[in-house]
Amino acid sequence: MKFFKSLTTGQRTIALSLGFMLVLSIVRLFTNADDITSSGTISSTLRVATPILLAGLAGVWAERVGIVNIGIEGMMIIGTWFGGYGAWKWGSWAGIALAIVAGSLIGLLHALATVRFNVNHVVSGIAINILAAGTTEYLSIIFFKGQKGGGESQSPAGKGGYGEFDMPFLSGGRIGSWRSPDILGWIEQKHDLPLIPDLAGLLRGLVSDIYIPTIVAISLVPLTAFILWRTRFGLRVRSSGESPQAGESLGVPINRLRYQAMAISGGLAAFGGAYLSCVFTSTYRQGQTGGQGYIGLATTIFGNWTPFGVFRGSILFGFPSALKFRDEKNVPALLLVIAVILIALGIVSAMKNKQMLTMGLFIGAAVSAATYFLVDEVPQEFVAATPYIVTILVLAGAQQQLRPPAHAGIAYRAGENH
Amino acid sequence: MTEYSHLGKQLAVELHGITKRFPGVIANHDVELLVRAGTIHAIVGENGAGKSTLMKTLYGMHQPDEGTITVNGNPAQFKTPTDAIAAGIGMVHQHFMLADNLTITENIILGDEPVDSRGRINFKEARARIESLMTSLGATFNPDTNVSELGVGQRQRVEILKVLYRGAKILILDEPTAVLVPQEVDELFTTLKRLVAEGATVIFISHKLDEVLTYCDEITVIRQGTTVARTTPSQVDRRSLAELMVGSDLPDPSGRETKVGDDVRLQVTGLNLAGDIAGAKLALEDINVAVHSGEIVGIAGVEGNGQFELCESILGLRTILSGSISVCGHELSHTETRDRINMGLSYIPFDRHREGLLLDAPLWENTFLGREENSSLTNGPFISRSKIEADCRSIINRFGVLTPSEQVPAFALSGGNQQKLVVGREMVSDPKILLAAHPTRGVDVGAQAAIWDELRHARDKGLGVLLISADLEELIGLSDRILVMFDGRVTAQLDPATATPEMLGTYMTGEVQGDAR
Repeated sequence: MKFFKSLTTGQRTIALSLGFMLVLSIVRLFTNADDITSSGTISSTLRVATPILLAGLAGVWAERVGIVNIGIEGMMIIGTWFGGYGAWKWGSWAGIALAIVAGSLIGLLHALATVRFNVNHVVSGIAINILAAGTTEYLSIIFFKGQKGGGESQSPAGKGGYGEFDMPFLSGGRIGSWRSPDILGWIEQKHDLPLIPDLAGLLRGLVSDIYIPTIVAISLVPLTAFILWRTRFGLRVRSSGESPQAGESLGVPINRLRYQAMAISGGLAAFGGAYLSCVFTSTYRQGQTGGQGYIGLATTIFGNWTPFGVFRGSILFGFPSALKFRDEKNVPALLLVIAVILIALGIVSAMKNKQMLTMGLFIGAAVSAATYFLVDEVPQEFVAATPYIVTILVLAGAQQQLRPPAHAGIAYRAGENH
Repeated sequence: MTEYSHLGKQLAVELHGITKRFPGVIANHDVELLVRAGTIHAIVGENGAGKSTLMKTLYGMHQPDEGTITVNGNPAQFKTPTDAIAAGIGMVHQHFMLADNLTITENIILGDEPVDSRGRINFKEARARIESLMTSLGATFNPDTNVSELGVGQRQRVEILKVLYRGAKILILDEPTAVLVPQEVDELFTTLKRLVAEGATVIFISHKLDEVLTYCDEITVIRQGTTVARTTPSQVDRRSLAELMVGSDLPDPSGRETKVGDDVRLQVTGLNLAGDIAGAKLALEDINVAVHSGEIVGIAGVEGNGQFELCESILGLRTILSGSISVCGHELSHTETRDRINMGLSYIPFDRHREGLLLDAPLWENTFLGREENSSLTNGPFISRSKIEADCRSIINRFGVLTPSEQVPAFALSGGNQQKLVVGREMVSDPKILLAAHPTRGVDVGAQAAIWDELRHARDKGLGVLLISADLEELIGLSDRILVMFDGRVTAQLDPATATPEMLGTYMTGEVQGDAR
């Protein structure tokens, strides 16, 4: 423990990731579920995680400026519709651009309600969710119904084209017309070795089959961190979420900042929605977001209102989803992974002398492991629910150490400080 | 009235005929204020006299309806604080304007950040400037720590740094000592004197007359929204200054005859309470306190040394580890808070905004809080609004709460009047034992005297009071015994007849630990 505490944050992250890979590797060797660390799973994880990541970043921008954004789901819905429309008319990049513009406007609407008219943030957010669902349905009837391939609840197919991206040499990407060797792919197939093929799978997953919008989305993580913690604009945004009175007394235009940050938040959420309707698939479908906006908001909390934390949270959710998408046979292996992790946490909490917690963790581990050995086939419903269950468990565990922006969601009127 | 201009020193601030109206209230009318450069100038007055309104006018937080502002000889019109800052005026607010989760540096540079050409904050430059200011202020902390880790005195220093960072030459401090212990007050004024020696001018708002008389160069008295006197410490004494503030003769605070009863009203024995973090040290350790009828037991201590936890344990808001608590001989360690209150326990909470009042609710709802089972305020299972309103009006009259009616929301009252309302609510139900935490915090001398009178009167009728206060004069003046709490333990018991504030201060910081029976 002492050794672990002496490490820097970066070193700890690496150590924990390696530990997690080791767990996965052991489980893989034990269960022969080779897919749980394959490059396919990893790149699929990134794809599933991207919309959640964007929704989570939307949450970070909103709450850091002091506005609770329950409306992320609605903003994503707006994003899916406009993404679908733009992709159908002009192509997928246009779809994303159109969605971001529409999302920013919805973000501004939320800001108008909460900042100008002092509507309760949750009420306004829910109103936006309902408004978005209704509006898109209505727009679909006007624009998509009767079009070739379109209908009341879906758009005609969009004009695709992002080109997936493979890194030369590492994962067999092309240079001109020459196909480079796929080195990581070769290592990944050495299934009998521990850890090494898993790491190769991880690396290959990160550099093969990647959509360019995914790269854009991931690069928004360090960009957000940079803006929020290293620039004047970012410091002011954070001060608005921590103590708007402090900012106001120093001449910081709190209300203007809130409009700006909410436009960014709405744009990010809508980008996440557009990713679903023009990258992940090529059509808009009603109900496509399926609550991912809320999951995104959960990652905001789990990630302690930081962009890198949100990234971790979205991967955490994306991983079981990706396993589920690729092959449902993988899900039982996940039970074993959970069991091993619970045992590890149990040992840590035993060292800290927390008996109740330790007992709970060991019981959880036993239940997971027993389920794995006793049940041959996991019910379909459980498989579908896995990612959500994992999210709830992690959120419940992480809750105590979280520190939200002090003034998020509290009504604020300029010039008043009681 | 003396004009200062002939004294040769330039006037830093001149306010003439300032009038400020709010809907239904005239907060300031015809205010005249002259502040000489290079002095510490005190503005004294009761709560709600209009001191803060006046300073907000000077700081550009709102505009006066009439009157002129002149700064360093130049007429000025401030539309926003930014304009006032540009004219060299800085304000340290009564409630600190700090973002807890940002670092000291971030808090200081906010709104005036040094940036490079790409919009990046130049933290190196910021740090250099802040460190040089810290040296001149005599402050020592790491500017990269979060403000949440700082104590009250240090936070105040950060507030002053904020103002200096913006190049302010005229500092307004709004009741800066309300939250400080005596030692910190000393340090604050040492700092201020240092700043004045370097050419700054300090405008100091207070209703603590001793500080004003000890440390300030000149005094302006405000009463009911207007300036009533300008004077210097050499021309007045404590009593005449207080009478200027209140506008009438004060009741004599001294002369008490204590008749401590024999029956024990509150008995706390061997109380232990776990800390917030499991496995960490105890929040309360082996606390033994007894309060008799007709007795006021004072608890002195720097905030955060267990006083709050003690009150919450007695009230049943926290589950204690071991020990016993009894009121009038009834053991109640395992009863609910409701039962304890019905048994005659009453509580004036630490923070009237967080625990004492519903700020957005009207006064009559606030005075009804916690008394829902009082049959004289209800009609069977229904509340009786007319009875509650009548009851609220009687509290307002008896405790002299200044308010247009019982229908206004609590936030519309000044802090002192809010406090009087809370004290009134807790006293009218004739409790057997009163936990009074800072009963006169942020309250002006007039109201303070009224609250003290009520406490003494109730004590003489047999009320037992556990008095927690940061105002050491109050503790010494009211208590029959004083216990000192430090680090979750009772570390000393003192006799108020022989105790002095300085002596209490040394016990409170844990430097000395005495006999704690």
